[in-house]
Amino acid sequence: MPERQLILDLLITAFLAPLLSSVIVIFIGKRVMGKAAGWFATAVMAGAFGCSLYAAMLWMGIADHSPILLNIPWIPLPGTEAGWLYLGAMIDSLTIAMMTMVTGIAMLVHLYSVGYMAGDSRYERFFAFLSLFSFSMLGIVMANSVIMLFVFWELVGLTSYLLIGFWFEKRGPQLACKKAFVMNRIGDMGFLIGFGILFYKLGGVLLLPAAQGGMFDALRQVIEAEGHSITNPPLWLTAAGIGLFFGAIGKSAQFPLHTWLPDAMEGPTPVSSIVHSATMVAAGVYLTARLYPILTPGAHLFIATIGLITLVMAACMAMVMTDIKRVLAYSTLSQLGYMILGLGTGAYAFALFHLITHAFFKCCLFQCSGSVIHTAHHQQDMRYYGGLWRKMPITAACYLVCTLAIAGASLPWTNLGVSGFYSKDGIIAGAVHYGQAMILGGYSFGWIFYVGPMVVAYMTVFYMARSFTLTFLGKPRDKHLYDHAHEAPWTMVLPQVVLAVMAIITVPALLPYFDLIVATEPAQMVAGVLAPVPWLQQAVDVAGHSVGMTLTHTVLLMGLGWILMLGLGIALYLPGMKYSGKIAALPGINLLYTWAINKFYFDALYDTVVVNAFKALAIVVAAWDKYLVDGVVNLAGLLGKLLGWGVGWFDNNVVDAAVNGAATMAQNAGGTLRQTQSGRLRQYMLLLFTGATFAAVVAIYVLMM
Amino acid sequence: MITVTLHHFVLVSFGLVAAGVACMVTKRNAIGILMGVELVLNAAALNFVAFNRFHPWDPAGQAPLDGFMFAMFIIVLAAAEAAIALAIILNLYNNLASVDVDKAREMRG
Repeated sequence: MPERQLILDLLITAFLAPLLSSVIVIFIGKRVMGKAAGWFATAVMAGAFGCSLYAAMLWMGIADHSPILLNIPWIPLPGTEAGWLYLGAMIDSLTIAMMTMVTGIAMLVHLYSVGYMAGDSRYERFFAFLSLFSFSMLGIVMANSVIMLFVFWELVGLTSYLLIGFWFEKRGPQLACKKAFVMNRIGDMGFLIGFGILFYKLGGVLLLPAAQGGMFDALRQVIEAEGHSITNPPLWLTAAGIGLFFGAIGKSAQFPLHTWLPDAMEGPTPVSSIVHSATMVAAGVYLTARLYPILTPGAHLFIATIGLITLVMAACMAMVMTDIKRVLAYSTLSQLGYMILGLGTGAYAFALFHLITHAFFKCCLFQCSGSVIHTAHHQQDMRYYGGLWRKMPITAACYLVCTLAIAGASLPWTNLGVSGFYSKDGIIAGAVHYGQAMILGGYSFGWIFYVGPMVVAYMTVFYMARSFTLTFLGKPRDKHLYDHAHEAPWTMVLPQVVLAVMAIITVPALLPYFDLIVATEPAQMVAGVLAPVPWLQQAVDVAGHSVGMTLTHTVLLMGLGWILMLGLGIALYLPGMKYSGKIAALPGINLLYTWAINKFYFDALYDTVVVNAFKALAIVVAAWDKYLVDGVVNLAGLLGKLLGWGVGWFDNNVVDAAVNGAATMAQNAGGTLRQTQSGRLRQYMLLLFTGATFAAVVAIYVLMM
Repeated sequence: MITVTLHHFVLVSFGLVAAGVACMVTKRNAIGILMGVELVLNAAALNFVAFNRFHPWDPAGQAPLDGFMFAMFIIVLAAAEAAIALAIILNLYNNLASVDVDKAREMRG
């Protein structure tokens, strides 16, 4: 069909365009393009976004929604069932939604960076990295196999390292980019283990739906051949699922590898806004969603638990931080926890839905915080802000809209709300069902799965209201800062406004897509692979509901508590931190407060246990290197040196001695003989005659003999 | 009556040589050295003459003349040598205002 071919061509264009612009900017950006480099990269991203959007519209228009496949043989694998490793593309509703979202947000972040990075000495390089980063993320989204996904997975890791450490002259970014990179490597170790198990068992890792002979089809055959049934999956499948999920733990910054994400705030704010919304952290969620059909109930429980821990813990920390970007970073962690929890509890489509809605409002929040930081001379502490809405009303309005969006605002007693309301509601509904099903199944601890996300939903309202109030409302707490504050340039304001609008209208805009995602993904891919255990079955059912149906689950609870928490957050922080400090000091609360403000001591724990252990290991290895390896080398060197000494000695004392000896003898002989050249004529004659006489005597004596 | 034999000539010649050498070795005066040289030369000439006189004649009864001829050459050479030696001595005197050979030591080693 021509439309399907056109969609493929458009998406491949959108996928490769950022790579092209990155290469062009890095080679001729500095010399030829100058300030135009930023506009060029932005224009290319806009083109990619246009292609994606057009492809999305075409996709909506066609009836056949089976995945579009492009498999290009890459590496031959003799002896395996697949025979080849393939590069290529696998395009379905989820891919197209992600492509549109990523290119759209990347375009806006590029535009924002034109304003934010103006005046930076490495302006052009920033755009080259940013485009490369977007390209890597698009590669993950487009990938047709786990191996290709992993290639771009690592590319995202590399480019995030480059971007977080963009201001590498400063100590903070140096440490942050290393930390992000190392934390991701730890997660990737798990990814490789899971990948290895799958590859060993299946002999091929193409991401194809069951009907088309890909990985999931092969998986079912292998399970059945091993004597396992779909209700009794083998242990290795759980292990593979958890292993692959470890990659997602690293990239999506879940507990216990979450510590890199708040530190990644050291990068330029545009980087924060893209890393923590549309790209890097989304990659982990996307991976989990792509591999959803292989996840066994055990893996589901693991994923849900990790998501739950992350979202509760991060929300606690977001409530106490005073650095505006750190508040947003911990809120990102918390929202990612929601997505992971959604995937674990079976609210598959809502988790992906939340991924997309969250990308818009979180990107906007980071851009607003960037505008504030930009105008506040890089002061990031909210205690020095206050009353800024008078100086930057547009930014304040955007921040407010996105605060409402992330908090899940809705009109009370109705089911009309901003984007976060729908997506988060679906996840909570899924978690509630999951928890209930667990209790019914005899697992009494299931209640935490519906109490946790519910409580955190209120905490989200509170900490976002807190950050909004501290920044934009109340009286200015730093006169100097307030006097110099001003609205950001239009290149920064425009993306904020666009994103804020998107934060409101994402749901109506994406609703048809949402249905497609619901309809195609788990149902089609799961088909026949895994029959869920009873409590999972119910959760999957939840995912199958449409938006309108799930709303009834939480709308009443949410509506009431929501207004309460918003009011509390604003009232408490309107006069600054005055009252909150007293509350934090109350006996029951201060322990939790101390833990939260110290990030639950994870950094300290990792430093003490892991970092120090590695340092100790490094000392041992260094000693081994220094004393044994170097010892051998030095010994060889010493032997060479000794041999050299020997040869040198021979040369100096034997060869040279012979030469010098001859010369010295000649000199001495000359010195001695010159004594005879006294110039005294009579002495000469005496010698002459003495000699002649002697010679005559000898001659006579000889002759007489 | 003492018969004069070759031994006597040789002894006289030896005495002349010894006197000449002693003269050369001991004199500091260049003229004195020249005299010593003349004594040694004449001792050699005397030897030639003496040996020629006592040399057996050849079977044809012809007396040998080789030694005489050598003596004549030596006389001529001595004259030439004396001329050269006196010229050297004059130059020596010009340079040093003296004929003391011990003062001519510029070329000592």
